Amino acid sequence: MRLASIIAIIALVAGAEINAAAATQRFAKTTRDAVAEGLTCQCGCGLTVANCNHPNCEFAVPVREKIDKLIAQGMDGAQIIGLFRAQYGEKVLSAPTMQGFNLLAWVIPPIAIVLGAMLVIFTVSRWRATPSVDSARGASEPPPADDANPALRRELERRLREGM
Amino acid sequence: MPLLGQLALALALILAIYSIPANLYGVDRGLPDLVASARHAIWAMCAMVTIAMLVLWTGLLRSDFSLEYVASYSSTTLPTIYKITALWGGQQGSLLFWTWLLSIFSAIVAWQNRRRNLEIAPWALAVMAGVAIFFLAMLNFVTRPFALLTNIPAQGTDLNPLLQNYWMAIHPPSLYTGYVSATVPFAFGAAALITRRLDDSWIRTTRRWAIFSWFFLTLGNLFGARWAYEVLGWGGYWAWDPVENAAFMPWLVMTAYLHSVMIQERKDMLKVWNLALIGMAFGLTLFGTFITRSGVISSVHSFTQSGLGPYFLGFLIGIAILYTALLLWRVNDLRTPAEFESYLSREAAFLFNNLVLIGIAFAVFWGTLFPVLSEAVRGVKITVGPPFFNRVVAPLALGLIFLMGAGPLIAWRRTTPRNLIQSFAAPVIFGVAAGLCAFAAGLHRWYALTAFSLAAFVLGTILVEFRRGVSARGHLVAEPPARALVNLVAKNNRRYGGYIIHIGVVFAFIGIVGSSFFKTEVKRSVKSGESFSVGPYDLRYTGLASRETPHVEIVRAKLIVTRDGREVATMSPAKLFYKAAQQPATDVAIRSTPVSDLYVVLAGFDEASATATFQVFLTPLVFWIWLGGFVMALGTVVAMWPNVRERAAIAATVRGRASDDRFAPEAASGGR
Repeated sequence: MRLASIIAIIALVAGAEINAAAATQRFAKTTRDAVAEGLTCQCGCGLTVANCNHPNCEFAVPVREKIDKLIAQGMDGAQIIGLFRAQYGEKVLSAPTMQGFNLLAWVIPPIAIVLGAMLVIFTVSRWRATPSVDSARGASEPPPADDANPALRRELERRLREGM
Repeated sequence: MPLLGQLALALALILAIYSIPANLYGVDRGLPDLVASARHAIWAMCAMVTIAMLVLWTGLLRSDFSLEYVASYSSTTLPTIYKITALWGGQQGSLLFWTWLLSIFSAIVAWQNRRRNLEIAPWALAVMAGVAIFFLAMLNFVTRPFALLTNIPAQGTDLNPLLQNYWMAIHPPSLYTGYVSATVPFAFGAAALITRRLDDSWIRTTRRWAIFSWFFLTLGNLFGARWAYEVLGWGGYWAWDPVENAAFMPWLVMTAYLHSVMIQERKDMLKVWNLALIGMAFGLTLFGTFITRSGVISSVHSFTQSGLGPYFLGFLIGIAILYTALLLWRVNDLRTPAEFESYLSREAAFLFNNLVLIGIAFAVFWGTLFPVLSEAVRGVKITVGPPFFNRVVAPLALGLIFLMGAGPLIAWRRTTPRNLIQSFAAPVIFGVAAGLCAFAAGLHRWYALTAFSLAAFVLGTILVEFRRGVSARGHLVAEPPARALVNLVAKNNRRYGGYIIHIGVVFAFIGIVGSSFFKTEVKRSVKSGESFSVGPYDLRYTGLASRETPHVEIVRAKLIVTRDGREVATMSPAKLFYKAAQQPATDVAIRSTPVSDLYVVLAGFDEASATATFQVFLTPLVFWIWLGGFVMALGTVVAMWPNVRERAAIAATVRGRASDDRFAPEAASGGR
């Protein structure tokens, strides 16, 4: 319970701190940030324009300034990203687009997971269809339950005895 | 001296080559002396590679620039600690270091198995020697660490400044140890397939090696994250860079393996799957090295690109084909009657845990390789960066955390819905309460709320498990709770060590979610004496101080940090300029608390106007990532600690096997 209290206190304090931070001047998740995170820095740092670690980066710094100018001119995030894409090519985007061949990047992982889940279910169904002699008898360990459950207590005591 | 190093490597290669036929012919024909000579050859190989290591270290410490490697990765002014770590700062040195670790592990395996596993161990050692031959061949013929320069420079090029950091002193060795030690369970898995000894003895023999590998992969990843956090100066610790991904994937697969083998040990199921997993884990360690060395995929970590890529790719493909063929050859022998009763069972939870872990590993693999695929198919180079990985991996991570909590609550074989409700009640209440607390505190983003609730749910399940055990023990032997807890963990260390690891994972998860979703960033230019605010903190800039050593020029800013008018810290971020390398670097200042990290970067300065520009990040809960790492390490040590029952079981197994093995007299005389 002490651990639970500590976690609750930290959650409350962290939440309060985040709220305090929100009340001050800061870089919110604005269009500028979204665009900067959607572009990859071309200086070789491997990070996004938002995260490039070179303070005087020849790519990220002017791009961030340009994003600010374009936002001030009334362009939205998609238009700005489109502009940079036209200028530097697809490699400037920090994630594949969701069209054409690039769509494969997005759909293959979930398809693989679904196929994997189907395989697990299919395999398990086959296993369940041919239960072993032992399981056919219905023998099983007592399931876990509260300490008031005598079966659980017996099982735990048996295991503890084995361990001593 | 360099000649001694080259000679040692040549001899090591000859000894590794000799050990394979000696081991295999010896075990096939029942010639214990020949097998013993193979063992001695492996020990001698280890000694030779150690000599080569010492020679290169001596060259680095003496700044012997006649060695091309030393001239490329060191300088006379480089601090001694970094002269030592420069051994893994470059291509040839890191390959030598890898080979050294492999030779040490081979020597340990040969020693551990000199009187047991007498049929399978020679094959396992032959596989390890095969891997060593590849690396030694690279070092002897392709990328030689003892290559000499004809024109000896007066000064070296210096170690990359980004690598001159104490985390770099321990990150690569940890990661390499994790990578290389995965060879041991892989080699025993392959040996089990070859010798047709397909029971779980190879798993039991290498269980501690697998945990050891996982332990160091965990540490390697965490140390790398900490290095990125402190050195790269962007306020983050993980950028889904290809090389980071390459270190993360074997960790995921090894985690899946460590869970999956429990089903085989308990129920004799999933034999093919476990062998496939250990093959994948080993293959991914080679894949990681291939990515780092080849330059096929651009990476911020490509400090040591070279032409080694095709060799590694060939070796990787060769291993994959051979191992898959071996697995298919034995697939009928690996089939056992499966016993599976219900989806509401621990077995099912483990299966889905494996599915999610491998799913994440696949998603990361796919995202890492997709730029190569795109270039090959469309001729267009694209980038797959953090937005892709975050979006694909984040939901799977939630599923994994849920399974981590649900698994221990479900019994083996089957659980009735009533018992399930009983078991889940307390942890679910705990999770919901934590979610409500977070919501009341102002967190309104659904992912973060779900993540924190699930994290609390998992902690709840672990607390319930510990409480049950302590209560049962207290009831049985009338121990006070503290002693009951200690004895409970000591006598069931594998299980409770696992729970401690889960606590560490939850801590790290909380830190990752907190720091990913709620980071605040401020960039300000201020004059000396001026202040600015970041969250609840006020930072007052008081000026610059510069210092110069023969190695580096340092300009350090001083900031007084106050909160609610009370001074809480003095922070000193700096700009560094490494003279020999002619490169700048950043030294960030971090004030870390369990609630948030205040992270200050000196982005620029103008001494004439006494103006400095600071980039400041206020990142919640980062502290919990590192604490989680420490807890995971602690749990792993607990899980690996040998207990009385296990030692007795091993002794019984050895005694039992001694009568079956070909070299029974030797085993019987010295079997442990």
